[in-house]
Amino acid sequence: MAINFRFNRLPFYLLAAAFALALSGCEQTDDLKPSGEDKRESVVPGTTGEQPGQVADDFSLPNTLGETVRLSDQLAGGATPGDAVVLYFTMWCPICLSHSDHLLYDIVPRFTGRGTVRYYLVDYVSGSITPSRAAELANGYGGSALVTLVDAKQEVLNQFDAAMGTVVVIDASGTIQLNEDYRDGTELAAVLDEILPTP
Amino acid sequence: MFGKPLTAALLGAAALLVSAPAAHAASCCGGGGGTSLILPKFNHEMVGLSFEAERYDGLWRRDGSWVPDPPGSDLNQYRLNAGYARRLGTNWQGSISIPYVWNRNEYSGLRRNTDGFGDASISLWYETFDNITCVYEVNSWEDLKPAVYLGGMLIVPTGVSPYDSVDDNFDITGRGFYRLDATMLVEKTVFPWNAGLELTYGTYLERSVNQEYGRYVEPYKKELGDRSSWSVNFGRTFTLESFNTLTATLAYTDLSEDEATVNGKTDPTTGFRKRSVAATLAWATGKKDWVVKGTYTYTPREDDWGENFPTTDLFSISVNHVLR
Repeated sequence: MAINFRFNRLPFYLLAAAFALALSGCEQTDDLKPSGEDKRESVVPGTTGEQPGQVADDFSLPNTLGETVRLSDQLAGGATPGDAVVLYFTMWCPICLSHSDHLLYDIVPRFTGRGTVRYYLVDYVSGSITPSRAAELANGYGGSALVTLVDAKQEVLNQFDAAMGTVVVIDASGTIQLNEDYRDGTELAAVLDEILPTP
Repeated sequence: MFGKPLTAALLGAAALLVSAPAAHAASCCGGGGGTSLILPKFNHEMVGLSFEAERYDGLWRRDGSWVPDPPGSDLNQYRLNAGYARRLGTNWQGSISIPYVWNRNEYSGLRRNTDGFGDASISLWYETFDNITCVYEVNSWEDLKPAVYLGGMLIVPTGVSPYDSVDDNFDITGRGFYRLDATMLVEKTVFPWNAGLELTYGTYLERSVNQEYGRYVEPYKKELGDRSSWSVNFGRTFTLESFNTLTATLAYTDLSEDEATVNGKTDPTTGFRKRSVAATLAWATGKKDWVVKGTYTYTPREDDWGENFPTTDLFSISVNHVLR
């Protein structure tokens, strides 16, 4: 069978090929055919890792004043024990700031008086203390309840397999209770409500 | 009746239509959406290629206050859009467009360069007019009748979104949602002047999400907020040698998107608004079978020109060619 190829249709053929390539891209099928299937792997409670139910490895990062903040110090038995540690991973983008504003002005007041919660913004893009401090101040978080930690080598970002907008909650025992996108803060509030002492 | 050059000029006027400058989200928020081609009346087939360079410079917070990007950051997105438009009937035309996106992000402590396809678009346009509406002079009310296009566009999430198997947010080239847009485009030319109005309303389709940045999470439903935009433009055409033309156009666009919902509950951290101005210079051959356009879109780094959105400057250059 002869194929009737018309040269003046070449642009159409090329674009159709690009369209087909985009549609068939192996990574893109998740968006073209979204799945609601729960594909989370089960974790063994008490093992070390980044998933909810696992224990967080210890880490230490400088804050924007140059002081070292160590996770183990914030846990039960630590130097300055609290009831929960909240990490929010920021690159100072519009979504990040919208989330951290919600954290500061909605979540923090809601749980004030219910134990000790340490809220940290983990800055993984500034690379050093000086630009991180500048970003913190420019965005109005200097001296607020949100303390900025400088993750210059993205070590903590990688430790929690985090990305822009990820929120992590670690309870007093060091167990991760939440590790997902901040979204509307509902899950964060639910987790804090569950693990913090009732007034 | 019109002479041949004038007829060609009138026929080609639609090729100079200035669409509302698309507001693209940063690579941190998705972006790279396709744009739509519009075929001139009585032409049958057209291809288009455009290159866009978008530079990010600060952002607006939810309250409309403008803040700069972190010190030492240099954030850019480049897009190459390929499009094809075809006449489907006397007053009907369709087009497809797909972008390829390059993200170039540099912070003082991080550099990431990624690329991939953006979100594609499929458009269908209906022309409410049967004859050319461009005129040289107004002698009656009939001469004031504008060209009105009614369009529908489907955004197909062919790009890479936060809900794909990706390493992190720097890989993002799309938003991950199907979107349906309805557009009304009104254009009137009384040579040498032209004016236009574009109204668009779009709604995203709800989708399931079971992973974020490549990590599986408890599944949930998400729907981005409805999107609306309006744009006005005003321009003047200068006739060059051989009836080639040069058209200068100024446009103003106001784009907003409502808050998203997560499992049916409104997400107060989402939604945005952006206003911008654009200047376009379009050169067209006498036959209007080739049109080259350059557009610079600017938004002042001032409070209240946007909300919850990055501030960008966008330069684009496009070449459209009518095949027949």
